[in-house]
Amino acid sequence: MQTPKIVTEFRTGLSDGKLLVQLCKDCGKPNMWPRYACPHCQSENLDWQHSGGVGTLHSFCVLRQGAPEGFEEDLPYAIGVVKLDEGVQLAVRLVPSAPDDWSEYQCDDRVEFVPVSADQIEKRPCATFKRIAD
Amino acid sequence: MSEKWTLHVAPGADNDPVFVGVGEIPTGKFPDRGFIQALTKVAILALKDAGMVPRDIDTIMLIPNLHSAADQADLVFSRMVEELGIHGTCKSSYMVHSGGSTSDNAVRAAHGLIAAGHAQNILVLQCERWGSADLQEMITMLSKNGIPGEWELPTGIQFNAIGAMITRRYMHASGSTPEEMASVCVTLRNWANLNENAMFYTKPLTVEQILASRMVADPLHSYECPPMADGACAFVMTNTANAKKRGISNAVRVAGSGGCVSHYCLSQEVDQAVLGWPLAAERAWNQSGWGPEDADIAEIYDSYAAVTAIALEGIGIAAKGEGARWFAAGHGDPGGKLPMNTNGGLLSAGHTGVGGGTALLVEGIRQLLHRAPSKRQVEDCQRAIIGGSGGSYMDAQILLLERTKLGA
Repeated sequence: MQTPKIVTEFRTGLSDGKLLVQLCKDCGKPNMWPRYACPHCQSENLDWQHSGGVGTLHSFCVLRQGAPEGFEEDLPYAIGVVKLDEGVQLAVRLVPSAPDDWSEYQCDDRVEFVPVSADQIEKRPCATFKRIAD
Repeated sequence: MSEKWTLHVAPGADNDPVFVGVGEIPTGKFPDRGFIQALTKVAILALKDAGMVPRDIDTIMLIPNLHSAADQADLVFSRMVEELGIHGTCKSSYMVHSGGSTSDNAVRAAHGLIAAGHAQNILVLQCERWGSADLQEMITMLSKNGIPGEWELPTGIQFNAIGAMITRRYMHASGSTPEEMASVCVTLRNWANLNENAMFYTKPLTVEQILASRMVADPLHSYECPPMADGACAFVMTNTANAKKRGISNAVRVAGSGGCVSHYCLSQEVDQAVLGWPLAAERAWNQSGWGPEDADIAEIYDSYAAVTAIALEGIGIAAKGEGARWFAAGHGDPGGKLPMNTNGGLLSAGHTGVGGGTALLVEGIRQLLHRAPSKRQVEDCQRAIIGGSGGSYMDAQILLLERTKLGA
Protein backbone atom coordinates (compact mmCIF):
# COMPACT_ATOMS: atom_id res chain seq x y z
CA MET A 1 0.00 0.00 0.00
CA GLN A 2 1.19 3.50 -0.78
CA THR A 3 2.12 5.61 2.25
CA PRO A 4 -0.89 7.87 2.96
CA LYS A 5 -0.56 11.53 2.00
CA ILE A 6 -0.98 12.78 5.57
CA VAL A 7 2.06 10.68 6.52
CA THR A 8 4.31 11.69 3.61
CA GLU A 9 3.45 15.39 4.00
CA PHE A 10 4.11 15.33 7.76
CA ARG A 11 7.45 13.61 7.15
CA THR A 12 8.39 15.99 4.32
CA GLY A 13 7.82 18.79 6.82
CA LEU A 14 10.23 17.14 9.27
CA SER A 15 12.82 16.67 6.47
CA ASP A 16 12.50 20.39 5.67
CA GLY A 17 13.10 21.21 9.34
CA LYS A 18 9.48 22.05 10.10
CA LEU A 19 7.02 20.60 12.57
CA LEU A 20 3.59 20.54 10.94
CA VAL A 21 0.29 20.31 12.77
CA GLN A 22 -2.82 19.35 10.87
CA LEU A 23 -5.42 22.12 10.81
CA CYS A 24 -9.11 21.67 10.04
CA LYS A 25 -10.17 24.31 7.54
CA ASP A 26 -13.80 24.03 8.61
CA CYS A 27 -13.71 24.17 12.42
CA GLY A 28 -10.22 25.66 12.70
CA LYS A 29 -8.99 23.14 15.27
CA PRO A 30 -5.51 21.55 15.23
CA ASN A 31 -5.23 17.74 15.11
CA MET A 32 -2.39 15.52 16.27
CA TRP A 33 -1.76 12.89 15.19
CA PRO A 34 -2.97 13.93 11.75
CA ARG A 35 -6.32 12.30 10.94
CA TYR A 36 -8.23 11.27 7.81
CA ALA A 37 -11.23 13.28 8.96
CA CYS A 38 -11.28 15.97 11.64
CA PRO A 39 -12.16 14.22 14.94
CA HIS A 40 -13.89 17.43 16.10
CA CYS A 41 -16.23 18.04 13.14
CA GLN A 42 -15.61 15.09 10.73
CA SER A 43 -14.58 17.45 7.93
CA GLU A 44 -12.15 16.10 5.33
CA ASN A 45 -11.12 19.63 4.44
CA LEU A 46 -7.74 19.45 6.16
CA ASP A 47 -4.54 21.45 5.78
CA TRP A 48 -1.28 22.08 7.67
CA GLN A 49 0.04 24.84 9.86
CA HIS A 50 3.61 25.32 11.08
CA SER A 51 3.85 24.65 14.78
CA GLY A 52 5.63 27.22 16.94
CA GLY A 53 7.59 24.14 18.07
CA VAL A 54 7.39 24.99 21.76
CA GLY A 55 5.65 23.01 24.45
CA THR A 56 5.76 21.26 27.83
CA LEU A 57 7.26 17.83 28.49
CA HIS A 58 4.47 15.71 30.01
CA SER A 59 6.73 12.72 30.64
CA PHE A 60 9.75 10.89 29.24
CA CYS A 61 11.92 7.83 29.71
CA VAL A 62 15.43 6.71 28.85
CA LEU A 63 15.43 3.28 27.24
CA ARG A 64 18.69 1.46 28.06
CA GLN A 65 17.95 -2.08 26.89
CA GLY A 66 15.32 -4.10 25.08
CA ALA A 67 15.15 -1.97 21.93
CA PRO A 68 12.75 -3.07 19.20
CA GLU A 69 14.39 -4.69 16.18
CA GLY A 70 16.32 -2.09 14.17
CA PHE A 71 16.73 0.31 17.12
CA GLU A 72 19.52 -1.55 18.95
CA GLU A 73 22.28 0.83 17.80
CA ASP A 74 20.33 3.86 19.07
CA LEU A 75 20.55 2.73 22.73
CA PRO A 76 20.39 4.50 25.09
CA TYR A 77 17.74 6.91 23.80
CA ALA A 78 15.07 9.10 25.36
CA ILE A 79 11.42 9.26 24.30
CA GLY A 80 9.05 11.93 25.56
CA VAL A 81 5.49 13.12 25.21
CA VAL A 82 5.24 16.84 24.47
CA LYS A 83 2.16 19.00 24.87
CA LEU A 84 2.57 21.73 22.25
CA ASP A 85 1.42 25.24 23.06
CA GLU A 86 -1.08 24.84 20.18
CA GLY A 87 -2.97 22.37 22.41
CA VAL A 88 -2.04 19.06 20.75
CA GLN A 89 0.47 16.45 21.87
CA LEU A 90 2.94 14.01 20.29
CA ALA A 91 5.67 11.47 21.02
CA VAL A 92 9.22 12.66 20.30
CA ARG A 93 12.90 11.84 20.74
CA LEU A 94 14.79 14.02 23.26
CA VAL A 95 18.32 15.40 22.72
CA PRO A 96 20.69 14.55 25.61
CA SER A 97 22.20 17.51 27.51
CA ALA A 98 25.57 15.70 27.46
CA PRO A 99 26.43 12.43 25.67
CA ASP A 100 23.93 9.76 26.83
CA ASP A 101 22.82 12.02 29.69
CA TRP A 102 19.23 13.20 30.12
CA SER A 103 19.49 13.85 33.88
CA GLU A 104 18.68 17.56 33.48
CA TYR A 105 15.23 16.76 32.12
CA GLN A 106 12.16 16.83 34.36
CA CYS A 107 8.44 16.50 33.78
CA ASP A 108 6.82 19.85 32.90
CA ASP A 109 10.09 21.27 31.51
CA ARG A 110 9.63 23.67 28.63
CA VAL A 111 10.97 22.07 25.46
CA GLU A 112 11.46 23.10 21.82
CA PHE A 113 11.50 21.41 18.43
CA VAL A 114 14.96 20.74 16.98
CA PRO A 115 15.24 20.40 13.19
CA VAL A 116 17.41 17.43 12.19
CA SER A 117 18.87 16.36 8.84
CA ALA A 118 16.75 14.88 6.06
CA ASP A 119 18.93 11.73 6.30
CA GLN A 120 18.03 11.39 9.97
CA ILE A 121 14.30 11.80 9.18
CA GLU A 122 14.63 9.20 6.41
CA LYS A 123 15.90 6.77 9.04
CA ARG A 124 13.74 7.84 12.00
CA PRO A 125 10.73 9.85 10.81
CA CYS A 126 9.82 11.45 14.15
CA ALA A 127 10.21 14.88 15.75
CA THR A 128 13.15 15.69 18.03
CA PHE A 129 12.90 18.12 20.96
CA LYS A 130 15.29 19.59 23.52
CA ARG A 131 15.00 21.22 26.90
CA ILE A 132 14.89 25.03 26.89
CA ALA A 133 17.66 26.21 29.24
CA ASP A 134 16.44 27.83 32.49
CA MET B 1 -21.93 12.79 37.47
CA SER B 2 -22.14 10.33 34.63
CA GLU B 3 -25.52 8.96 33.61
CA LYS B 4 -26.68 5.94 35.62
CA TRP B 5 -26.95 2.75 33.54
CA THR B 6 -29.08 0.10 35.23
CA LEU B 7 -28.14 -3.56 34.81
CA HIS B 8 -31.24 -5.15 33.28
CA VAL B 9 -30.98 -8.26 35.41
CA ALA B 10 -32.18 -8.56 39.00
CA PRO B 11 -29.97 -10.15 41.66
CA GLY B 12 -31.04 -13.77 42.12
CA ALA B 13 -33.39 -13.76 39.11
CA ASP B 14 -33.44 -16.91 36.98
CA ASN B 15 -31.41 -15.21 34.25
CA ASP B 16 -28.88 -13.58 36.61
CA PRO B 17 -25.45 -14.74 35.30
CA VAL B 18 -23.13 -16.35 37.86
CA PHE B 19 -19.57 -17.66 37.98
CA VAL B 20 -19.52 -21.26 39.16
CA GLY B 21 -16.00 -22.59 38.55
CA VAL B 22 -12.36 -21.73 37.81
CA GLY B 23 -9.28 -23.60 36.61
CA GLU B 24 -5.59 -22.67 36.46
CA ILE B 25 -2.18 -24.25 35.96
CA PRO B 26 1.20 -22.88 37.13
CA THR B 27 2.58 -19.70 35.57
CA GLY B 28 6.27 -19.43 34.61
CA LYS B 29 8.54 -20.94 31.97
CA PHE B 30 7.19 -24.26 30.68
CA PRO B 31 8.63 -24.78 27.19
CA ASP B 32 7.48 -28.42 27.10
CA ARG B 33 3.86 -27.62 27.95
CA GLY B 34 1.87 -27.36 24.72
CA PHE B 35 -0.59 -24.58 23.95
CA ILE B 36 -3.60 -26.82 23.25
CA GLN B 37 -2.51 -29.17 26.03
CA ALA B 38 -2.61 -26.31 28.54
CA LEU B 39 -5.98 -25.06 27.31
CA THR B 40 -7.44 -28.56 27.54
CA LYS B 41 -6.11 -28.93 31.07
CA VAL B 42 -7.59 -25.66 32.39
CA ALA B 43 -10.89 -26.36 30.62
CA ILE B 44 -11.21 -29.70 32.42
CA LEU B 45 -10.16 -28.15 35.76
CA ALA B 46 -12.73 -25.34 35.47
CA LEU B 47 -15.50 -27.73 34.40
CA LYS B 48 -14.75 -30.06 37.33
CA ASP B 49 -14.76 -27.08 39.68
CA ALA B 50 -18.19 -26.13 38.29
CA GLY B 51 -19.48 -29.68 38.58
CA MET B 52 -19.87 -29.90 34.81
CA VAL B 53 -18.64 -31.96 31.88
CA PRO B 54 -17.75 -30.62 28.42
CA ARG B 55 -21.14 -31.44 26.86
CA ASP B 56 -22.80 -29.06 29.34
CA ILE B 57 -21.07 -26.19 27.57
CA ASP B 58 -22.95 -24.44 24.76
CA THR B 59 -20.62 -21.48 24.26
CA ILE B 60 -16.83 -21.24 24.35
CA MET B 61 -15.30 -17.78 24.60
CA LEU B 62 -11.60 -17.46 23.88
CA ILE B 63 -9.15 -15.00 25.39
CA PRO B 64 -6.44 -14.27 22.76
CA ASN B 65 -2.74 -15.11 22.95
CA LEU B 66 0.05 -12.85 21.71
CA HIS B 67 2.86 -15.39 21.21
CA SER B 68 1.63 -16.85 17.92
CA ALA B 69 -0.83 -15.82 15.22
CA ALA B 70 -1.17 -19.47 14.14
CA ASP B 71 -2.14 -20.57 17.66
CA GLN B 72 -4.56 -17.66 17.82
CA ALA B 73 -6.14 -18.81 14.55
CA ASP B 74 -6.65 -22.27 16.08
CA LEU B 75 -8.70 -20.65 18.83
CA VAL B 76 -10.68 -18.42 16.48
CA PHE B 77 -11.57 -21.40 14.32
CA SER B 78 -13.06 -23.50 17.14
CA ARG B 79 -10.24 -25.96 17.79
CA MET B 80 -11.16 -26.19 21.48
CA VAL B 81 -14.69 -27.32 20.60
CA GLU B 82 -13.22 -30.40 18.93
CA GLU B 83 -10.53 -30.95 21.59
CA LEU B 84 -13.27 -31.08 24.24
CA GLY B 85 -15.43 -33.33 22.10
CA ILE B 86 -18.45 -31.04 21.86
CA HIS B 87 -18.46 -30.50 18.09
CA GLY B 88 -21.95 -31.12 16.81
CA THR B 89 -23.59 -29.76 19.99
CA CYS B 90 -21.68 -26.57 20.89
CA LYS B 91 -23.64 -23.53 19.75
CA SER B 92 -20.93 -20.92 19.43
CA SER B 93 -17.18 -20.45 19.84
CA TYR B 94 -15.40 -17.13 19.40
CA MET B 95 -12.80 -14.69 20.67
CA VAL B 96 -13.09 -11.41 22.55
CA HIS B 97 -10.07 -9.09 22.47
CA SER B 98 -9.11 -5.78 24.07
CA GLY B 99 -5.59 -6.65 25.25
CA GLY B 100 -5.10 -6.55 29.01
CA SER B 101 -8.74 -5.64 29.64
CA THR B 102 -10.07 -8.58 27.61
CA SER B 103 -11.18 -10.48 30.71
CA ASP B 104 -13.39 -7.57 31.79
CA ASN B 105 -14.95 -7.29 28.36
CA ALA B 106 -15.31 -11.08 28.06
CA VAL B 107 -17.30 -11.07 31.31
CA ARG B 108 -19.52 -8.28 29.99
CA ALA B 109 -20.07 -10.24 26.76
CA ALA B 110 -20.78 -13.53 28.58
CA HIS B 111 -23.02 -11.74 31.10
CA GLY B 112 -25.11 -10.27 28.29
CA LEU B 113 -25.36 -13.56 26.40
CA ILE B 114 -26.53 -15.44 29.48
CA ALA B 115 -28.95 -12.76 30.73
CA ALA B 116 -30.54 -12.43 27.29
CA GLY B 117 -30.74 -16.19 26.76
CA HIS B 118 -28.29 -16.58 23.88
CA ALA B 119 -26.15 -18.84 26.04
CA GLN B 120 -26.62 -20.99 29.13
CA ASN B 121 -23.23 -22.43 30.11
CA ILE B 122 -20.17 -20.51 28.93
CA LEU B 123 -16.57 -21.70 29.22
CA VAL B 124 -13.95 -18.95 28.95
CA LEU B 125 -10.42 -20.16 28.10
CA GLN B 126 -7.02 -18.46 28.16
CA CYS B 127 -3.45 -19.60 27.42
CA GLU B 128 -0.27 -17.64 26.68
CA ARG B 129 3.28 -18.82 25.99
CA TRP B 130 5.23 -15.60 26.47
CA GLY B 131 7.74 -17.24 28.79
CA SER B 132 8.81 -19.72 26.11
CA ALA B 133 8.58 -17.37 23.11
CA ASP B 134 11.56 -15.65 21.43
CA LEU B 135 12.21 -12.56 23.59
CA GLN B 136 13.42 -10.25 20.78
CA GLU B 137 10.43 -11.23 18.66
CA MET B 138 8.07 -10.40 21.53
CA ILE B 139 9.78 -7.03 22.23
CA THR B 140 9.43 -6.09 18.58
CA MET B 141 5.80 -7.24 18.53
CA LEU B 142 5.17 -5.12 21.63
CA SER B 143 6.62 -2.06 19.91
CA LYS B 144 3.66 -2.34 17.52
CA ASN B 145 0.72 -3.09 19.85
CA GLY B 146 -1.04 0.09 20.96
CA ILE B 147 1.57 2.08 19.06
CA PRO B 148 0.75 3.74 15.71
CA GLY B 149 3.31 2.51 13.18
CA GLU B 150 3.34 5.66 11.07
CA TRP B 151 3.61 8.14 13.94
CA GLU B 152 5.20 6.63 17.07
CA LEU B 153 7.05 3.48 16.07
CA PRO B 154 9.87 5.63 14.59
CA THR B 155 10.71 6.92 18.11
CA GLY B 156 11.71 3.38 19.18
CA ILE B 157 8.98 3.17 21.82
CA GLN B 158 8.06 -0.23 23.31
CA PHE B 159 6.20 -1.56 26.37
CA ASN B 160 8.81 -0.80 29.06
CA ALA B 161 9.17 2.75 27.65
CA ILE B 162 5.40 3.20 27.98
CA GLY B 163 5.49 1.87 31.56
CA ALA B 164 8.46 4.09 32.35
CA MET B 165 6.77 7.26 31.10
CA ILE B 166 3.63 6.55 33.14
CA THR B 167 5.83 5.80 36.17
CA ARG B 168 7.80 9.03 35.80
CA ARG B 169 4.67 11.15 35.42
CA TYR B 170 3.08 9.42 38.40
CA MET B 171 6.17 9.96 40.57
CA HIS B 172 6.29 13.62 39.51
CA ALA B 173 2.60 14.21 40.22
CA SER B 174 2.48 12.31 43.53
CA GLY B 175 5.96 12.96 44.91
CA SER B 176 6.37 9.19 45.37
CA THR B 177 9.94 8.02 45.98
CA PRO B 178 11.71 5.11 44.24
CA GLU B 179 11.38 3.20 47.54
CA GLU B 180 7.62 3.76 47.60
CA MET B 181 7.28 2.59 43.98
CA ALA B 182 9.34 -0.52 44.73
CA SER B 183 7.13 -1.31 47.73
CA VAL B 184 4.23 -2.06 45.34
CA CYS B 185 6.32 -4.86 43.82
CA VAL B 186 7.17 -6.16 47.30
CA THR B 187 3.47 -6.41 48.26
CA LEU B 188 2.82 -8.40 45.09
CA ARG B 189 5.74 -10.70 45.85
CA ASN B 190 4.42 -11.25 49.38
CA TRP B 191 1.21 -12.55 47.81
CA ALA B 192 3.09 -14.64 45.21
CA ASN B 193 4.84 -16.33 48.09
CA LEU B 194 1.43 -17.72 49.09
CA ASN B 195 0.57 -18.90 45.56
CA GLU B 196 2.08 -22.18 44.37
CA ASN B 197 1.03 -21.35 40.81
CA ALA B 198 2.98 -18.06 40.80
CA MET B 199 6.19 -17.71 38.77
CA PHE B 200 7.97 -16.28 41.83
CA TYR B 201 6.54 -18.57 44.52
CA THR B 202 9.02 -18.90 47.42
CA LYS B 203 11.28 -16.16 46.03
CA PRO B 204 11.11 -13.27 48.53
CA LEU B 205 11.94 -9.76 47.26
CA THR B 206 12.97 -6.54 49.05
CA VAL B 207 12.92 -2.84 48.17
CA GLU B 208 16.73 -2.86 48.37
CA GLN B 209 17.00 -5.70 45.83
CA ILE B 210 14.68 -3.88 43.44
CA LEU B 211 16.56 -0.58 43.64
CA ALA B 212 19.89 -2.41 43.18
CA SER B 213 18.67 -4.14 39.99
CA ARG B 214 19.79 -2.66 36.68
CA MET B 215 18.06 0.34 35.14
CA VAL B 216 16.08 -0.80 32.09
CA ALA B 217 14.07 2.29 31.18
CA ASP B 218 14.58 5.17 33.63
CA PRO B 219 12.95 5.27 36.13
CA LEU B 220 12.14 1.51 35.90
CA HIS B 221 14.58 -1.06 37.30
CA SER B 222 14.55 -4.57 35.86
CA TYR B 223 12.74 -5.98 38.93
CA GLU B 224 9.98 -3.43 38.34
CA CYS B 225 9.32 -4.75 34.82
CA PRO B 226 6.84 -7.57 34.31
CA PRO B 227 8.33 -11.05 33.76
CA MET B 228 6.98 -12.63 30.56
CA ALA B 229 5.44 -15.98 31.43
CA ASP B 230 3.56 -19.02 30.18
CA GLY B 231 0.20 -19.48 31.84
CA ALA B 232 -3.36 -20.64 31.37
CA CYS B 233 -6.65 -20.30 33.22
CA ALA B 234 -10.37 -20.72 32.66
CA PHE B 235 -13.74 -19.99 34.21
CA VAL B 236 -17.35 -21.10 33.81
CA MET B 237 -20.49 -18.95 33.91
CA THR B 238 -24.13 -20.01 33.84
CA ASN B 239 -27.53 -18.55 34.78
CA THR B 240 -28.92 -18.65 38.31
CA ALA B 241 -31.82 -21.02 37.52
CA ASN B 242 -29.45 -23.56 36.00
CA ALA B 243 -26.96 -23.19 38.85
CA LYS B 244 -29.74 -23.92 41.36
CA LYS B 245 -30.94 -26.89 39.32
CA ARG B 246 -27.40 -28.26 39.48
CA GLY B 247 -27.38 -27.96 43.26
CA ILE B 248 -24.92 -25.09 43.45
CA SER B 249 -25.53 -23.11 46.62
CA ASN B 250 -22.87 -20.38 46.46
CA ALA B 251 -21.77 -18.52 43.36
CA VAL B 252 -20.46 -15.13 42.25
CA ARG B 253 -22.50 -12.50 40.43
CA VAL B 254 -21.76 -9.23 38.68
CA ALA B 255 -22.98 -6.22 40.68
CA GLY B 256 -21.97 -3.74 38.00
CA SER B 257 -19.18 -2.46 35.81
CA GLY B 258 -17.68 0.76 34.56
CA GLY B 259 -15.16 1.64 31.90
CA CYS B 260 -13.39 4.41 30.04
CA VAL B 261 -11.23 4.24 26.91
CA SER B 262 -9.03 7.29 27.42
CA HIS B 263 -6.69 6.97 24.41
CA TYR B 264 -5.26 4.62 21.80
CA CYS B 265 -1.59 5.63 21.96
CA LEU B 266 0.05 6.97 25.10
CA SER B 267 1.09 10.27 23.49
CA GLN B 268 -2.59 11.23 23.26
CA GLU B 269 -3.34 10.64 26.96
CA VAL B 270 -4.14 13.98 28.60
CA ASP B 271 -2.80 12.96 32.03
CA GLN B 272 -0.64 9.86 32.34
CA ALA B 273 -0.92 10.01 36.16
CA VAL B 274 -4.73 9.69 35.99
CA LEU B 275 -5.74 7.67 32.88
CA GLY B 276 -9.38 6.54 32.56
CA TRP B 277 -9.89 5.32 36.13
CA PRO B 278 -11.95 8.16 37.69
CA LEU B 279 -14.68 7.98 35.02
CA ALA B 280 -14.63 4.16 34.97
CA ALA B 281 -15.07 4.13 38.76
CA GLU B 282 -17.86 6.69 38.72
CA ARG B 283 -19.74 4.57 36.18
CA ALA B 284 -19.15 1.39 38.21
CA TRP B 285 -20.42 2.98 41.47
CA ASN B 286 -23.43 4.40 39.65
CA GLN B 287 -24.39 1.01 38.27
CA SER B 288 -23.83 -1.02 41.44
CA GLY B 289 -24.56 1.35 44.30
CA TRP B 290 -21.20 0.33 45.77
CA GLY B 291 -18.40 2.58 46.90
CA PRO B 292 -14.68 1.84 47.20
CA GLU B 293 -15.10 1.03 50.92
CA ASP B 294 -17.43 -1.89 50.15
CA ALA B 295 -14.84 -4.29 48.74
CA ASP B 296 -13.05 -7.03 50.69
CA ILE B 297 -10.34 -7.52 48.04
CA ALA B 298 -9.14 -5.85 44.84
CA GLU B 299 -7.54 -7.56 41.83
CA ILE B 300 -6.25 -4.77 39.58
CA TYR B 301 -4.01 -4.97 36.51
CA ASP B 302 -0.43 -4.41 37.63
CA SER B 303 2.01 -4.68 34.73
CA TYR B 304 3.89 -1.77 36.38
CA ALA B 305 3.62 -0.46 39.94
CA ALA B 306 2.48 3.00 38.82
CA VAL B 307 -0.35 1.57 36.74
CA THR B 308 -1.87 -0.02 39.85
CA ALA B 309 -1.20 2.98 42.11
CA ILE B 310 -2.97 5.22 39.57
CA ALA B 311 -5.92 2.81 39.43
CA LEU B 312 -6.19 2.72 43.24
CA GLU B 313 -6.43 6.50 43.32
CA GLY B 314 -8.96 6.72 40.49
CA ILE B 315 -11.10 4.05 42.13
CA GLY B 316 -10.88 5.93 45.44
CA ILE B 317 -9.22 3.17 47.47
CA ALA B 318 -6.23 5.45 48.07
CA ALA B 319 -6.35 9.26 48.29
CA LYS B 320 -5.10 11.28 45.32
CA GLY B 321 -1.31 11.00 45.13
CA GLU B 322 -1.18 8.34 47.86
CA GLY B 323 -1.42 5.11 45.81
CA ALA B 324 2.21 4.03 46.08
CA ARG B 325 2.44 5.13 49.75
CA TRP B 326 -0.73 3.08 50.42
CA PHE B 327 1.24 0.01 49.35
CA ALA B 328 4.34 1.13 51.26
CA ALA B 329 2.18 1.24 54.43
CA GLY B 330 1.29 -2.43 53.85
CA HIS B 331 -2.42 -1.83 53.26
CA GLY B 332 -2.52 -4.22 50.27
CA ASP B 333 -0.41 -6.96 51.89
CA PRO B 334 -1.58 -10.28 53.31
CA GLY B 335 -3.36 -9.21 56.51
CA GLY B 336 -3.63 -5.60 55.27
CA LYS B 337 -6.84 -3.59 55.21
CA LEU B 338 -7.59 -4.39 51.52
CA PRO B 339 -5.79 -7.45 50.16
CA MET B 340 -4.60 -6.53 46.64
CA ASN B 341 -3.76 -8.87 43.76
CA THR B 342 -3.81 -11.91 45.98
CA ASN B 343 -2.29 -14.23 43.34
CA GLY B 344 0.85 -12.04 43.14
CA GLY B 345 -0.37 -10.08 40.12
CA LEU B 346 1.37 -9.77 36.76
CA LEU B 347 4.57 -8.56 38.40
CA SER B 348 5.04 -11.61 40.61
CA ALA B 349 2.68 -14.37 39.44
CA GLY B 350 3.90 -13.64 35.89
CA HIS B 351 2.83 -11.54 32.91
CA THR B 352 0.89 -13.83 30.60
CA GLY B 353 0.03 -11.10 28.08
CA VAL B 354 -3.70 -10.72 27.68
CA GLY B 355 -3.94 -13.48 30.30
CA GLY B 356 -2.54 -11.35 33.14
CA GLY B 357 -5.91 -9.70 33.59
CA THR B 358 -7.69 -13.04 33.24
CA ALA B 359 -5.55 -14.56 36.01
CA LEU B 360 -6.48 -11.66 38.31
CA LEU B 361 -10.16 -12.12 37.47
CA VAL B 362 -9.95 -15.88 38.10
CA GLU B 363 -8.25 -15.19 41.44
CA GLY B 364 -11.05 -12.78 42.38
CA ILE B 365 -13.71 -15.38 41.53
CA ARG B 366 -11.74 -18.06 43.43
CA GLN B 367 -11.53 -15.85 46.53
CA LEU B 368 -15.28 -15.09 46.37
CA LEU B 369 -16.06 -18.81 45.98
CA HIS B 370 -13.84 -19.37 49.07
CA ARG B 371 -11.77 -21.87 47.09
CA ALA B 372 -8.31 -20.28 47.40
CA PRO B 373 -5.72 -22.34 49.31
CA SER B 374 -6.19 -21.55 53.01
CA LYS B 375 -2.89 -19.68 53.35
CA ARG B 376 -4.11 -16.91 51.07
CA GLN B 377 -7.92 -17.20 51.28
CA VAL B 378 -9.26 -13.87 52.55
CA GLU B 379 -11.67 -14.58 55.38
CA ASP B 380 -15.38 -14.07 54.68
CA CYS B 381 -14.60 -12.59 51.27
CA GLN B 382 -17.90 -11.21 49.88
CA ARG B 383 -17.07 -8.43 47.41
CA ALA B 384 -14.25 -7.83 44.94
CA ILE B 385 -13.14 -5.00 42.69
CA ILE B 386 -11.59 -6.34 39.46
CA GLY B 387 -9.67 -3.88 37.27
CA GLY B 388 -8.11 -4.25 33.85
CA SER B 389 -6.32 -2.13 31.26
CA GLY B 390 -5.26 -2.90 27.70
CA GLY B 391 -2.76 -1.76 25.07
CA SER B 392 -0.83 1.35 26.08
CA TYR B 393 -3.18 1.63 29.12
CA MET B 394 -5.81 2.76 26.62
CA ASP B 395 -8.67 1.87 28.94
CA ALA B 396 -9.68 1.44 32.55
CA GLN B 397 -12.19 -1.35 33.11
CA ILE B 398 -13.82 -2.19 36.43
CA LEU B 399 -15.97 -5.20 37.32
CA LEU B 400 -17.66 -5.39 40.71
CA LEU B 401 -18.25 -8.99 41.76
CA GLU B 402 -20.08 -10.33 44.80
CA ARG B 403 -20.62 -13.70 46.41
CA THR B 404 -24.24 -14.76 46.26
CA LYS B 405 -26.20 -17.48 48.05
CA LEU B 406 -28.49 -19.26 45.58
CA GLY B 407 -30.82 -21.05 47.99
CA ALA B 408 -32.85 -24.12 47.11
